[in-house]
Amino acid sequence: MIRTINCEIDRAEGSLQRLIGLVERRGFHIDVLEMEAEGNGGRRVALGVRARDSGRCFDVLGRQIDRLIGVRRIAAGREMAV
Amino acid sequence: MNAQSAHVRVEPAQRLSGAGLMVRALERLGVTTVFGYPGGAIMPLYDALAGSGIRHILVRHEQAAAFAADAWGRTTGEVGVCIATSGPGATNLITGLANAMMDSAPMVAITGQVGTAVMGTDAFQEVDILGMTLPVVKHSYVVRDPADIPRVMVEAFEIAAMGRPGPVLIDLPKDVASALTDDGYFPAPDRPVAPELDAGAVEAAEREIQAAERPVLYVGGGVGLAGATRALRAFAERTGIPAIATLKGLGALPTGHPQHLGMLGMHGARAANEAVHDADLLIVCGARFDDRATGRLDTFAPGARVIHIDADPAEIGKLRAAQVAVTGDLGATLDRLGRTAPAIGSWIARTQAAKAAHAAHYDAPGDDVYAPALLKAISEAAGDRFVAACDVGQHQMWAAQHCRFSRPRAHLTSAGLGAMGYGLPAGIAAKLARPGDEVVVITGDGSIMMNIQELATARRYGVAVKILLLDNSRLGLVRQWQELFYDRNYSEIDLSDNPDFVKVAEAFGVEAFRISLREEVGPGIERLLAAEGPCLAHVMIDPEHNVWPLVPPGKGNIEMMHHSFKRM
Ligand SMILES: Cc1ncc(C[n+]2csc(CCOP(=O)(O)OP(=O)(O)O)c2C)c(N)n1
Repeated sequence: MIRTINCEIDRAEGSLQRLIGLVERRGFHIDVLEMEAEGNGGRRVALGVRARDSGRCFDVLGRQIDRLIGVRRIAAGREMAV
Repeated sequence: MNAQSAHVRVEPAQRLSGAGLMVRALERLGVTTVFGYPGGAIMPLYDALAGSGIRHILVRHEQAAAFAADAWGRTTGEVGVCIATSGPGATNLITGLANAMMDSAPMVAITGQVGTAVMGTDAFQEVDILGMTLPVVKHSYVVRDPADIPRVMVEAFEIAAMGRPGPVLIDLPKDVASALTDDGYFPAPDRPVAPELDAGAVEAAEREIQAAERPVLYVGGGVGLAGATRALRAFAERTGIPAIATLKGLGALPTGHPQHLGMLGMHGARAANEAVHDADLLIVCGARFDDRATGRLDTFAPGARVIHIDADPAEIGKLRAAQVAVTGDLGATLDRLGRTAPAIGSWIARTQAAKAAHAAHYDAPGDDVYAPALLKAISEAAGDRFVAACDVGQHQMWAAQHCRFSRPRAHLTSAGLGAMGYGLPAGIAAKLARPGDEVVVITGDGSIMMNIQELATARRYGVAVKILLLDNSRLGLVRQWQELFYDRNYSEIDLSDNPDFVKVAEAFGVEAFRISLREEVGPGIERLLAAEGPCLAHVMIDPEHNVWPLVPPGKGNIEMMHHSFKRM
């Protein structure tokens, strides 16, 4: 099951690396990654992620991303069957 | 460097180097003391520091600077600051950053970096310290424009201290540090207003408490961090609910308090582990269900519902589902809970009986030094001013089990990371921060060698830390595991060729003496605590002595292995 995460992050040094590093370290594969610059000094990032094992909780991942400094908004999205 | 500093000084007052601006920021942020070690890329900052009112403590290894800054943060609640040069200086900080991250210590680390023009070219002493430290910092910056320094500094201090504290890294390229800029505009620090408590969640928590028959108050390090000690004690006392503590929660409820059943977990007290196992409600305050505390999660507190109160929403449900979660101000939450005392008399009686039945004994046979008794005695002799700065190993667990702690900030220990080498630099920082405290470094013959060079720092600044070195001539905790779980296949734990630690300390100019027999313990404690300057007591203990009780790895907390003095 791939879950989508849409977020807006600061366009600051390390911000993307911080985000994707966290997702992988917390036990999720990243299957999809799209990014585009926003006009407001931010970047919109869409991730498709898949838990590495059954012990990983998607909601907790969302909150871990949310607490990163420089993550302006996060919406944890749909499930997509693969 | 001289030419450059002269250059800075003849500029009109409002023009400063980036480094000068950074020092000014430190002063405006109220920093009095920083720990660091200079080198090429950070020289502009050292140039600017020299003329400032900030006290710089020159450690002898950058790891010690990071540990000291972490302990400064834990001791004072202010942000601790450490400084290192680029490359090896910066990489030497990493263990300290990880330590501060795991244990939520407020800290700012400033690293020099090669000039921006050569960043990314494998320049001399260049490492991507931002990239290397991403998983072990709360946030990080590379400063590319000196004009950004005031904003970055104010933000970094705010981030380090707010909510759940943690370390922030600021990487400062040399050209940015040297460039002249206008004296910046310092944004007023944002004092984030604590979010309103969720009244519905608080009410739900209160209903759980009133309905519970066997509640346990589960006290974590977050209580001290949130300044919620008073609220916790008041809540405990008006409800009578039995309390247990994690390693970092020790002291939030004084360990001598009748309701405190002890530490839980791998080396916890049997009464504490049993209470958690039998509980029907855990009121978890500022704790994160660390595996050393919970043992096997699927057998942990099997019949308990959970109220989880924490500043960090990301901890809710990470390892154990909570029926009620309250994120926000811990003290304010506790003040609203337990409005009437639940009727739990028989549960209280049962937990008290278990506490009495499993109380530690200190009458070990023999004339050799019994470390648990020594640790209990020194903490009692030092009284409410006692601060333990622990290293990692058996001695750390004995300290947690047997010392008397009357406040949460009295117990400095590398809990989450378990980093040997923490004790001495942490003790030095704690004593510098609170000279009136009686700071005792509790260390082992393995751990002390990880940062023994800091004896020079204690000596140089006349820091009167008291070092209790428990020498079993082994890597004791590893030896214990090899004995119990690896068929006594002792592999690389022998330290019987240790140096003469008394002579080593004396060579650093630190007073030292040896304790080998039990009858020497009383006078030894007196001498150690009476010493005017830094002092080391080298205590010989039995290499075979183990930490008891013990939950074997992979087992539930209720399956504790026990101790009898004969097995020592
Ligand atoms: C930096 C680091 N390296 C290795 C370890 C693994 N380790 C944990 S306890 C221990 C032994 C510590 O020996 P000592 O300081 O003499 O304390 P004792 O257990 O004998 O009291 C070791 C090697 C660690 N925790 N930290």
